[in-house]
Amino acid sequence: MAVFEFISPIYVFLIFAGTLVGIIFGAIPGMTATMAVAVCLPLTYSLGLDNGLALLLGLYVGGISGGLVPAILLGIPGTPSSITTTFDGYPMARKGEGEKALRIGVVASFVGGIVSLLALFFFAPALAEFAIAFSYVEKFLIILFALTVMAALSENMLLGIFSGFLGIFISLIGVYDVTDGGNGQYRLIPPGTEYWLEYGFSLLPVLIGLFGLATILEGAEQGMPRGQSLDDIKVGEHSRFSLSVFKGQIVNLLRSSGIGTFVGILPGVGGSAASILSYTATKTASKEPDSFGKGNPAGIMASEAGNNGLTGGAMVPLLSLGIPGDATTALLIGAFTLQGVQVGPLFIGNNPMTWDSMIVAMLIANIFMFAIMYFAIRWLAMVVAVPKHILFPVILMMCVIGAYTINYGIMFDVWTLLIFGIFGWLMVKLRLEVAPFIIGFILGPSAEIYFVKSLESFGTLGIFFTKSWIAMLLWVLIAGSVIGSALLARRKSRERAAAAAARG
Amino acid sequence: MAELLQVTVDFDRSHLIFPTLIGVILMLLGLAIALTHRRAIAGSGGMWSRAFAHMDKARFFGTLALTVIYFLLMVPVGNIWPNTGLGFLICSIPFVALTSILYMHERNGRSLIPAMIVAVVAPTLVWWLFTYVFALTLP
Repeated sequence: MAVFEFISPIYVFLIFAGTLVGIIFGAIPGMTATMAVAVCLPLTYSLGLDNGLALLLGLYVGGISGGLVPAILLGIPGTPSSITTTFDGYPMARKGEGEKALRIGVVASFVGGIVSLLALFFFAPALAEFAIAFSYVEKFLIILFALTVMAALSENMLLGIFSGFLGIFISLIGVYDVTDGGNGQYRLIPPGTEYWLEYGFSLLPVLIGLFGLATILEGAEQGMPRGQSLDDIKVGEHSRFSLSVFKGQIVNLLRSSGIGTFVGILPGVGGSAASILSYTATKTASKEPDSFGKGNPAGIMASEAGNNGLTGGAMVPLLSLGIPGDATTALLIGAFTLQGVQVGPLFIGNNPMTWDSMIVAMLIANIFMFAIMYFAIRWLAMVVAVPKHILFPVILMMCVIGAYTINYGIMFDVWTLLIFGIFGWLMVKLRLEVAPFIIGFILGPSAEIYFVKSLESFGTLGIFFTKSWIAMLLWVLIAGSVIGSALLARRKSRERAAAAAARG
Repeated sequence: MAELLQVTVDFDRSHLIFPTLIGVILMLLGLAIALTHRRAIAGSGGMWSRAFAHMDKARFFGTLALTVIYFLLMVPVGNIWPNTGLGFLICSIPFVALTSILYMHERNGRSLIPAMIVAVVAPTLVWWLFTYVFALTLP
């Protein structure tokens, strides 16, 4: 069949290598799928389009999936999208159910990846056409909707929302970029720092600082508590995994995969929002929401099905509009540009072969991901038994490499890592919340462009309400999300008051 | 009503619209936090002194100091042999070794030997991988 012309031993090998390297990058805290793609991007020069994409898609799928290993075993999200995996995975690991939690995560990841791939394959052209109709107004409202999730996510709503807006504010530092339609003027740059802050803080050093260095600083502050030994992880009979754990969770798996795919499809919205939304939805739908955050397997399923659901979905705006869903897909645009291919509304129609080869590569990558992680989970789990005094200095060094190489050798990115490492440590002390901060930081720049462009084009704030039925529907969703979060917060504080009263 | 919502965007000042809007929202939120968390903010001095008292100061400030020295030295050392990544390699080995020793609980041969092997092997491997396999420039 002509469809499979692109499949060659080297193509399959590159997917395998990409997936394996991606998993390892994802599994090492402080290194991410984004970095894996960034590091390997120059390698695709010599590989050609199909083979180059095979490697990168393997890295992408593997990198997103590998993040669950440190999330569960160390409580450090290996990738930003596995933040919610830590909520239930880490408590399970501490109860000695690390291997079980990992296998649950792997199966959920696989389901999420396959569901999103099916959605991508069957609905991409139609969805792409629908998304083409979106103007700046709808795009801004979609981002606003994603931002309201910050509220649902927070321990303390007010502090969480404040952290989110702080993230947006910091993301605006630097030039209002001409390439995005801005006027090229500087803002929010302290005098004397224009040289370093011209383009603001880079996303990846900020992420590595907040999630890598801050975690290490916290460990150092607490005197580097001794890690678990291999005996504590209880591999084998103590932590037996069986598929029966998924009984009654089919709805959860499908809903989370669906949410992940949908969030991935929304242009400009991606990354951690997928797992956060599906986690929140599962918690809200659960009969026992209080058991979440304490080691409920359903939480891991929601988070991992959600973040792997993203992988397929995120390709839709990327291929149809050229809009990246997150930092990793932004790098994939770089890969296309390297090969001289323009992604946009005409991409799929003009490049049916590349489209097929991408779908097949993602399918194979998901199968490899499942096989590698399911059967080699014990070796992956051994990362926990490495003593902290060996692991953490090496992670620190890897954080430096990640920060330094992301923009091909900018020392200021390394200092950014330190600044945000200390800032992340301080945030915990001040009870500010890191996850909403990051969502704000990632979405801030696009929110600005869509907002300002909408006003420039229409000259009235009313346009956000009256533009189209899609805009009105989005407002209903936004209001629902805000009201839902407020009700949830009220219930939480009432329960807390009741618990305090019960204690006397 | 419709007139109230009218906005004219001056392109030359369009870079300030969104930062101003977010700045105002931040200030309002800050004010709300100041009002609702009065007691916690008033007691923050005690919180900091408690946190400082319970801190493992040697490990915490040691990490910060070593990291700053590591970052400061990397580029000047690298400039001695430009574009070889040796600045990274030469600075990383002592950095990894020293932080390992700092974090170690029992500083005996059984802990020291594997840590020192890692401190030499890990940076060297990474340096080789990035310089020769990925062809990326390190400091």
